[in-house]
Amino acid sequence: MTLILLLLIPACAGLLCLVARSRESWEHLNLLAFAALVPLALKIVSDVLAQGTVSAFEGFFRADALSALVIVITTFVALACAIYSVGYFRADARANKITEAQLRRYYALTPLFVAVMLLVPLADNLGVMWVAIESGTLASVLLVAFYNQKTSIEAAWKYIIIGSIGISLALFGTIFTYYSAVNVLGAGTQHGMNWSVLAGIADKFDPKAMRLAFILVLLGYGTKAGLAPMHTWKPDAYSEAPVPTAALLGTAFVNCAIYGIARFDVLAVKCLGPEFPGRLLAGFGVASILVAAPFILTQRNFRRILAYSSIDHAGIMVAALGFGGKLGALGAALHMLFHGVTKPLMFFCAGNVQQHFGTPYFRRVRGVIHILPWTGGFFLMATLAVTGTPPFSIFQSEFITLSAALAAHHAWLAFLFIAGAAAIFVGFLVHMVKMNLGKPRPDQLKGSAVQRIKECPWKLGAMVMVATSVVALAFWLPQPLYQLVQQAAQIIGGAQ
Amino acid sequence: MNPPASPEIGSQLITLMAALMLVVQLLLAVQPMLFTSVRLYAIQSLFLAGIAGVVAFFDHAGDVYVVAALTVIGKVIFLPWLLNRQLRHIKITQEIEPLLNPTATMMVCGGLVLLGYLVARPFTSLERLGNNTLGIAITLELTGFFLMINRRKAISQVLALLTMENGVMLAAIALTTYGMPLVVEFGIFFDVLVAVMILGILIYRIRETFASMDTGKLNQLKE
Repeated sequence: MTLILLLLIPACAGLLCLVARSRESWEHLNLLAFAALVPLALKIVSDVLAQGTVSAFEGFFRADALSALVIVITTFVALACAIYSVGYFRADARANKITEAQLRRYYALTPLFVAVMLLVPLADNLGVMWVAIESGTLASVLLVAFYNQKTSIEAAWKYIIIGSIGISLALFGTIFTYYSAVNVLGAGTQHGMNWSVLAGIADKFDPKAMRLAFILVLLGYGTKAGLAPMHTWKPDAYSEAPVPTAALLGTAFVNCAIYGIARFDVLAVKCLGPEFPGRLLAGFGVASILVAAPFILTQRNFRRILAYSSIDHAGIMVAALGFGGKLGALGAALHMLFHGVTKPLMFFCAGNVQQHFGTPYFRRVRGVIHILPWTGGFFLMATLAVTGTPPFSIFQSEFITLSAALAAHHAWLAFLFIAGAAAIFVGFLVHMVKMNLGKPRPDQLKGSAVQRIKECPWKLGAMVMVATSVVALAFWLPQPLYQLVQQAAQIIGGAQ
Repeated sequence: MNPPASPEIGSQLITLMAALMLVVQLLLAVQPMLFTSVRLYAIQSLFLAGIAGVVAFFDHAGDVYVVAALTVIGKVIFLPWLLNRQLRHIKITQEIEPLLNPTATMMVCGGLVLLGYLVARPFTSLERLGNNTLGIAITLELTGFFLMINRRKAISQVLALLTMENGVMLAAIALTTYGMPLVVEFGIFFDVLVAVMILGILIYRIRETFASMDTGKLNQLKE
């Protein structure tokens, strides 16, 4: 029941927004729906911790610890984005940048987008999971094109075309997986695409077909996660989309894609042994980190830098999966959680700065902390947290990933991993310190005094909510959450 | 009563229709008129539906009839109608300016056919019905990808995407015993329809804001 409500509430909220007339009602519908999802997600977590798995509709929907982890992160991000978007779009409306019709489209599409993102971890059938991920892309394309500028249409076009090529490869891979299992399964094809069934018999699969299947799936879902070299749509889409959409894409949707890769990784490891899938994953992961690093160092646009950071973090998660072993699985699960909680703060701060200064370029913005003190402070904190500076939690997951690399005797990859992470740290710090702490530009001064701006309570509320979680997670991982992560890591590691 | 037709005939029929799908794909790759391209896509989809029908008949798989029916309704009738309407609406019927000329295009496609068969070779012994269907499926995927790069009009890129999808569905029919579970077929079908509609909206907006359908003009976003 909980599983079905989790999907129905956002879907209904989205459809109701198409009917509702006023801006207030759209905002309330979104806020209410996303607020209702959080207790449902927590209920699923407690059920999963008590029973192992929860299922509905004769196993059509199935949630284990890994699904529950992804669900919790998605609902958290969705709620934060819903709160933030109230303030964000009111400011846009005041500046006459958007129309009522656009606003309705945003408030109707976002809950639908969240609903299909929640379907991804709930679908046991790998084909249905594919359909859900593709639907997520389709729901978000028009959100990327939201502002109707030349650039946003270009970004949306690249996003859907590159994404569709990728997703057709993933479907090919899914079919190959199914096919490699058909001989083992015999006639019982009704549940033949269910992951829980496949995971039990993966060691008897046809290895040739499984090898091709894994490559195709990795390329396909890797495109969605934004692994290099399939990442080219990402900076455009993230910088052109409205900030709350970019935040959802950059955290929750990346997790969905990584989740898909992790499920197939379990099958591939069981069928082929850890070496072949591990090498592929580690290679793509470290390559993504290395590709992201120079673009972050030389970046001029503070919206695009977030996309490159997301490429970097997707790379870290995939690399952790690839290094494998207990440490690698734990690193991947922890990184999903920590990245999902931390990253929205970056997007929110960047959105505030862009709305106030009216530009996405570093060089036109100086001294944010003097003008928007909360945003500036949070921006610096988020920068440190996202780049993996201790004591923030991402440091822990990156450290565990690194240990996994060394434990698996990938000394070279570990070296490249550190080099990439260090370059990204330096790049971020240089840009962000200049932008946040520098002297305000003359046009921001009133006489000789700095003009301080009162921050919008909605946007501030969302930032405080995320920032509190970031700080809390740095020092304290609640016991149930820790158990959930551990069990999720066991599933990634191949335990039934 | 006569015994039912031998599976041999079914196998030959499938091989024939899969080969025809490939022929249509090659025609699509070199011919320039957009309306004709849409028609060729419809013909290709019709062959796909035919293959599904033959598989359903010889395997006694009721589900696959549904797949065949969905393919006819969606890809032979509805999508071509939608694309034609869009073409009339944006008043672009002229030929496309591909990056490579027809001869070079044909050469590349020939190479891709070889590549497709090479990739499929380790698996051909495992196919149940028809020879070479998997090779053709992979070839459709590869040539579709090449078409996407070669063509610059937004609507031809959509067509290229759709032929890639036909390739995937051909693989699904060729490789799996009774096709995929129906719910997945419905999901994929629905996603393809929605994708084409969204692409249509975007094409319309590209046309409005850029006064052109040339995706080469989408070049403002770069580092």
